[in-house]
Amino acid sequence: MLDQPARVLTRVEPEYPAARLADEHHSEAPLPELDVEVEVTLDEAGRVTSARVLASGGKDFDEEALKAVRTFTFAPAIKDGKPVASRFHVPLHFEPPPHAEPQFVDVVGKRAPPSRGAGDYRIDVGKLDIVPRRNAADLLKLAPSVFLLKDGGGEGHAERVYLRGFDAREGQDIEFSVGGVPINEAGNFHGNGYADLNFIIPELVTRLRVLEGPFDPRQGNFAVAGSAEYELGLESRGLTAKATYGSFNTARLLLLWGPAEQSTRTFAGAEIFRSDGFGDNRESWRARAMGQYEGRLGSDASFRLSTSAYATQYESAGLLRVDDVESKKVDFFGTSDPNQGGSSARFHVSADIEAKSGETFYGVQAFGIYRSSSLRENFTGFLLDEQLARQQPHGQRGDLIDLSTTAGTFGLRGYGRHGFELLGMKHEVELGMFARGDMVSALQQRVGAQTHDPYLTEADLDSKLADLGLYADATIRFAPWLIVRGGLRADLFAFDVEDNCAVKDVSAPTPDDPPGDASCLSQQRFGEHREPNQHSTTATIKPLPRVSAQLGPFGGFSFSLAYGQGVRSVDPSYVTQSATTPFASIDSGEAGVSFARSFDVASLAVQSVFFVTHVDRDQIFSETEGRATLAEGTTRTGWSGSARSKGDFFDVSASVTLVQSRFDDTGLLVPYVPDVVVRHDGALFHDLFPLAGSPVTGKLGIGASFVGARALPYGQRSDTIFLLDAAASLGWRFLELEIAGTNLANLEYRQAEFNYVSDFDPNTPATLVPARHFAAGQPIGIFGSISGTLGGER
Amino acid sequence: MKRSLDNGMLLAVAVVAASCNASTGGELIEFDAFAAGPEAASGGEAYVFESPRGYTVTLRRAVLHVGAVYLNKSVQTSVGADTSCYLAGQYVAEVPGGFDVDVLEPTLQPFPVQGFATTDRAKTAEIWLSGGDIDAETDPTVVASVEGEATKDGETFPFDATITISESRVIPSTDPSQPGVNPICKQRIVTPIAVDLKPTDGGSLVVRIDPAGWFSNVEFDELELVDDDPPLYRFRDDSLDQPSRNLFNGLRANSGVYDVRWDE
Repeated sequence: MLDQPARVLTRVEPEYPAARLADEHHSEAPLPELDVEVEVTLDEAGRVTSARVLASGGKDFDEEALKAVRTFTFAPAIKDGKPVASRFHVPLHFEPPPHAEPQFVDVVGKRAPPSRGAGDYRIDVGKLDIVPRRNAADLLKLAPSVFLLKDGGGEGHAERVYLRGFDAREGQDIEFSVGGVPINEAGNFHGNGYADLNFIIPELVTRLRVLEGPFDPRQGNFAVAGSAEYELGLESRGLTAKATYGSFNTARLLLLWGPAEQSTRTFAGAEIFRSDGFGDNRESWRARAMGQYEGRLGSDASFRLSTSAYATQYESAGLLRVDDVESKKVDFFGTSDPNQGGSSARFHVSADIEAKSGETFYGVQAFGIYRSSSLRENFTGFLLDEQLARQQPHGQRGDLIDLSTTAGTFGLRGYGRHGFELLGMKHEVELGMFARGDMVSALQQRVGAQTHDPYLTEADLDSKLADLGLYADATIRFAPWLIVRGGLRADLFAFDVEDNCAVKDVSAPTPDDPPGDASCLSQQRFGEHREPNQHSTTATIKPLPRVSAQLGPFGGFSFSLAYGQGVRSVDPSYVTQSATTPFASIDSGEAGVSFARSFDVASLAVQSVFFVTHVDRDQIFSETEGRATLAEGTTRTGWSGSARSKGDFFDVSASVTLVQSRFDDTGLLVPYVPDVVVRHDGALFHDLFPLAGSPVTGKLGIGASFVGARALPYGQRSDTIFLLDAAASLGWRFLELEIAGTNLANLEYRQAEFNYVSDFDPNTPATLVPARHFAAGQPIGIFGSISGTLGGER
Repeated sequence: MKRSLDNGMLLAVAVVAASCNASTGGELIEFDAFAAGPEAASGGEAYVFESPRGYTVTLRRAVLHVGAVYLNKSVQTSVGADTSCYLAGQYVAEVPGGFDVDVLEPTLQPFPVQGFATTDRAKTAEIWLSGGDIDAETDPTVVASVEGEATKDGETFPFDATITISESRVIPSTDPSQPGVNPICKQRIVTPIAVDLKPTDGGSLVVRIDPAGWFSNVEFDELELVDDDPPLYRFRDDSLDQPSRNLFNGLRANSGVYDVRWDE
């Protein structure tokens, strides 16, 4: 029996693991409060001779606990009046530092929304910026299940995006934003929600949040497959100039500027670009600029002013019939209609402020967007020019679509988030709003192949669209290891559509006043007069519940469940006066597990997610209409796994997605969706050797993609795609030399494949049975760059 | 976690396995196509038949240029008011290239191009009688060339015909509000030919053409005599007299002339 047990003389509270604090911004999982119990063995002098963990809190917490107890000083136990060796149990409590939870505006920078589970990916581009990427859309590949391709629309055309088994076409099923400014174009006739990311300079993207599902009440219209938020910034300070030249006579000049005394979110960038393209009719020109200033208002508020400008002109090869290529009618990199291409321009301004007042945080943002685009595409050749009785006799004049769209968008978003404590736990409630108005004019005509003149007007719409969304979002902590987040969002969609070409034919024309060949007619049966237009208005509210639960972390593992409903408004051409506005409604659920741990030499984050999504009214691309049109309900089920590891000299990311998409009524596969998507991004970086007193740094980046055979109509399967890209660079002081290669295996591949009817040769008997079409993928390309940074750090 | 990962792997395998068997439905196939004269004909010999108008017709030469063949899913009941060259329904098979078929030859003559089809059931067939562009105002292609003689009541009418479908076949519109009511393409398409067949992989399309049907309503005694020694009557390459009009209609008859079958 001891006379006196050992006792603590001086005690140092353990440090909260730094890696946890650093990872908080990435994972958005709440930082846990927890206890670790350590048994220390003391010698007769009260010195710690050994220590072991009795009750673990996870490796990093255990390490901090052991480190702390070794700095304690003890009075030894006394037995029979003499100090003796003894064992002593030390409970240690870990609590996140006050600034870390909740995560609020600290100095500058916007507050990140809380995580919705394993499928809520926060992606730092970081060192993976060395991996060759053609544009900002390519960065989406850092999120699992994303696959991109060009469907022949040309360099300035939006990328076709696949996400979790969705053929999101040109972004219609993903809500895109950059710095809070929406990108999806409501009312775009080519595809409602068309999202052209080409205005974004990829070097200015520092981070992405890709939420693969409609699980966050902040997500609004078009968040069908999910949402992608681009966060802009510039790590390097000073003025950087980068010149690139390479294959296909591609030339690019990029200027980036980051004032040394400002945060990374104050920057400016400008780029000019041109290329002949990798085959016939692929020439393109582009200029774009982006800028942002971030400043502070007092000690508790920050604001940002941002702008962007973009213009492009491009040609496009379009789609080719496989049989035409096989019969040498057209080259693999050729075109069946050299009149295809387009132009595009986009400008936006935005201002936002975030501030703290007591335990409440506010944010508000206003933005304005001007957008115009012209698109000339011919999917079917000479097939659709139907002879109407009232028209002069004509043959097939050509199916070239000429679509021009002009849109002005203005909007607001804002939120207030209040943190409070209840039953010893911290909780939060957020109320937010989103408002957006769009004025869209769309004119789609068919242009004659010989005359290049429009001969038919298919659509002439002037639309005024409004989307007002309100949401309430709560974060409730039932225990340090159990958080439930969720709430309700409701969106009001209002349409005011002027169809300037509502009457396109007359069933019984009058001989006295024949309607002739005009497309938009001002008479009905037997010459009865009516104006050619039709005005329609309608509005509908769509409530959208969303909830997620997160358990953990337990030894680095966190588990999550999420459910949410999403919505996609229809394009204005489907609006009928006072009829209920048709929407696509989405039900989505996922169950995931994630693991995050920092080790001595590296950090590791792993996610595994099972998901299921149902869309009651899906959209399928119609080659005859040249745009996405409404189809039947579909359901997707699948799994995606991803991992990313970062160390002192490497950064590696990999993901695998397996998915099936089926029509509800027939059980048949949804066409064009890849069953398997695999992606790898890797970067190595290190100082190589000193030169004139400064290190020469080397970087190597490799990107690899595999896309499984996609289901095509009529039981067909597309080819698989494998792409290998790599880049290497040497940097010294303010200079950097880089060489990049894309499709290094130089595989001749078809990036987009379709089965449908076309007839590209009007002088031979028509081809009226569905046939395989494709857009050629880019062959190997080699590009060299030199860049210099002055007045700052590279 | 191990269990979770194991489950994940199982699901992954299941998804991939299911994907391998899953389909969007249907199938695209290639097939060979043939055309031939009636089985009753004897190759290299004249083809003799009785016409409904009481003529005994002896054909010594009968060649039809089949420009293309199509099969469609739909059943078209009326084509009168339709000005479209194409049927509204989905085309399930095509032989998009043609040749001159010796319709006095019962053995199968292959089309020069491969046929393509989905595996959907077809209800309507179309024979395109053109050299290429179905909408071309002028098409010098000889779609039918015949030579023979017709006998009735002891009177013999040696005849020949060279038929094109070009400007002379245009039917002018009588309604100024509907100038496009009779597009030339409608003159070049034999439709709707009733069929009930389903293309299958490995099968072939056979079109049998019975030239007897071309002459069903022809009154040979109204033919124009173009040569006296020896006498020769000739069909006009337009539709301005009864025999020429009815021969042209016979070429475009959607029953009794063209038999479209699928051979497994």
